[in-house]
Amino acid sequence: MTETSLNDRADKQQAAHGGTLKMTARDVDVFYGTKQAIKNVSIDVTQENVTAFIGPSGCGKSTFLRTLNRMNDTVASARVTGDITLDGKDIYGADMDVVQLRARVGMVFQKPNPFPKSIYENVAYGPRIHGLASAKPDMDAIVEKSLRRAGLWEEVKDRLTDSGTALSGGQQQRLCIARAIAVDPEVILMDEPCSALDPIATAKIEELIHELRGRYAIVIVTHNMQQAARVSQKTAFFHLGTLVEYGDTSDIFTNPRQTRTKDYITGRYG
Amino acid sequence: MSTIAPALQPPPKPQPARVPTDWTTTSMQGRIRRRYRSERRFRLLGAGAVLLSFAFLVFLLISMLGQGLRGFTQTELRLPMDFPAARLALDPATLAGPNARAALAAVDLEGATARAADRAYGTGGYKLLSDGAWLSVRSAIQADPQILTRRADIWVPTSTVIDLAAKGDADAEAEAGYRLLDARKAVRTSFSMAFLTGSDSTDPTLVGIWGALKGSLLTMFVTLILAFPIGVLSALYLEEYAARNRWTDLIEVSINNLAAVPSIIFGLLGLAVFLNFLDFPRSAPIVGGLTLALMTMPVIVIAGRNAIKSVPPSIRDAALGIGASKVQVVFHHVLPLALPGILTGTIIGMARALGETAPLLMIGMRAFIASPPGGLADPATVLPVQIFLWSDEVSRGFVEKTSAAIIVLLVFLLAMNGIAIYLRNRFERRW
Ligand SMILES: Nc1ncnc2c1ncn2[C@@H]1O[C@H](COP(=O)(O)OP(=O)(O)OP(=O)(O)O)[C@@H](O)[C@H]1O
Ligand SMILES: [Mg+2]
Repeated sequence: MTETSLNDRADKQQAAHGGTLKMTARDVDVFYGTKQAIKNVSIDVTQENVTAFIGPSGCGKSTFLRTLNRMNDTVASARVTGDITLDGKDIYGADMDVVQLRARVGMVFQKPNPFPKSIYENVAYGPRIHGLASAKPDMDAIVEKSLRRAGLWEEVKDRLTDSGTALSGGQQQRLCIARAIAVDPEVILMDEPCSALDPIATAKIEELIHELRGRYAIVIVTHNMQQAARVSQKTAFFHLGTLVEYGDTSDIFTNPRQTRTKDYITGRYG
Repeated sequence: MSTIAPALQPPPKPQPARVPTDWTTTSMQGRIRRRYRSERRFRLLGAGAVLLSFAFLVFLLISMLGQGLRGFTQTELRLPMDFPAARLALDPATLAGPNARAALAAVDLEGATARAADRAYGTGGYKLLSDGAWLSVRSAIQADPQILTRRADIWVPTSTVIDLAAKGDADAEAEAGYRLLDARKAVRTSFSMAFLTGSDSTDPTLVGIWGALKGSLLTMFVTLILAFPIGVLSALYLEEYAARNRWTDLIEVSINNLAAVPSIIFGLLGLAVFLNFLDFPRSAPIVGGLTLALMTMPVIVIAGRNAIKSVPPSIRDAALGIGASKVQVVFHHVLPLALPGILTGTIIGMARALGETAPLLMIGMRAFIASPPGGLADPATVLPVQIFLWSDEVSRGFVEKTSAAIIVLLVFLLAMNGIAIYLRNRFERRW
């Protein structure tokens, strides 16, 4: 019964927002030990839109993002209940291979974390372990394409053998994005990708998100209201582990239905 | 964003008047002086400590080299051998054939050598020679059978007394005798490979270190191939896979304690398990290696766990995030990054094992062994035990041989540390 009503709701939303459903979350709770970090969150991620998660620090944005590609499995105390699907298939189901899931749902972390290997190797690692390129020219092509899409190719094409850790912070973050898109995921999760970057590097990454939009379903966590307004079409406002409001970015920012949302985006607390 | 203009900011709130800190009072000056003094004191203490340990090292090196380098030289006496006159029942033709060994063994070369010495240096001349002098004669015959048809001068090792006299370390009478020989140009002291190629002997002029060195190499080999993979895999499993619970805590405490257990106890364990229960051969490198592996493993596990722990978790997240499996994360990222630390720990453990004597005495590696071990199950001894055995000998000639053996051990250790530093620099990466 819930199944049909959920689908109804999802269909309505799809009609309303004009997007193809990529991922859905229904009644998700996340616990760290006995402490509940996410309370009963339901949300849809659409293929065509960039979805932004906003909310005060500690409200559970990262926690929820990490449930979408099961990175929470690595936290021993974390427990997730509820349904999360990717293309209609339960990602916590028994027949879902978590390694493949993470290749399909890529992640860019808050702090740039390139491997201490060469720039080339950083990008090539994912395709190599998934067997996406058999010959060296194929791999070269993937590396170049990924670096181009991440807007880093021109800066590093002459020094592909240099260590990825020798790049500047913003370059490292774009390298991490190139690494994530090299395995050609369907969804990209970005956890505050610009929090350590200066305005110019931030602008580059925002530009990049615009370019990638449509090809990948994108979810981005950000503390920066302007950024959420600039890059996203959908915005979800989290507070104390609950999803307070979710809708079109333009509505959330111009005409929030909840007072808590309004207070937050106008800077009254946070 | 552009709406943020200075005009919109609220005016500053009134604050209580600020009393400026006076940095020039005497108590302030006193604090500065005390700070400088304590800094100077600490620097002096540190430099003193470094200097002291350096002085110890220099003292050790100088005394070892002073004593030990002479151990690598050998005094030799010129022995004129008149082979035709000695009438040895030897034919150069047989010596070229396959029965050469048997033919040589059948004749009394020892007697012939002694008689030649008596003839050349007067009655009792044979006392100038080392007990093994005839071995040099035999080698000379083997090298060139035609020597049997003529007179020839052969350089043979001298007795310990002459050897020590040559090195200025004997009583007046022996030195006088040596000077006489020296005047006749009948003695020479030169670097000799014999010490590096020989094995243990009862005669200090004939001993060599190769037997013990080979024993050490074989033992270390067994230790390394057992302790390294098992230690590293245990460390990886405990850090990356094992759940944190009471059992893993117990294992951690046990391993830490194991690393602190006195080595003699590992010797007793080896004796009880490998020799008495499993019936392995006594004095063999394989048993020594097994025993030392038990001792080294905890050190590798502890060093390995620390190295693995220091790999930043963000690297693991990064690899997991693009769909690497747990094994791929561990072997592609964690292990390579932890390897420098693991290798350093391993070499420290191995160096400790190389210097161990006590546990090896327990499993019988203190026997007198006059030939180098041919394999892992042959009786053998190791460098530190050999040093221990020689230092216990009464004969004066063993003193410098002991020091020479210590030099060999130290060179071995330095080589191992050198390899460790090389490997660490080779694998070291920044992140
Ligand atoms: N590994 C963990 N173990 C226990 N509690 C955790 C863990 N990770 C997060 N939490 C808790 O879960 C809550 C949500 O944390 P989360 O990191 O999701 O917040 P966030 O919204 O991403 O905050 P920020 O904006 O500061 O990154 C916090 O109260 C935090 O203390
Ligand atoms: Mg966060």
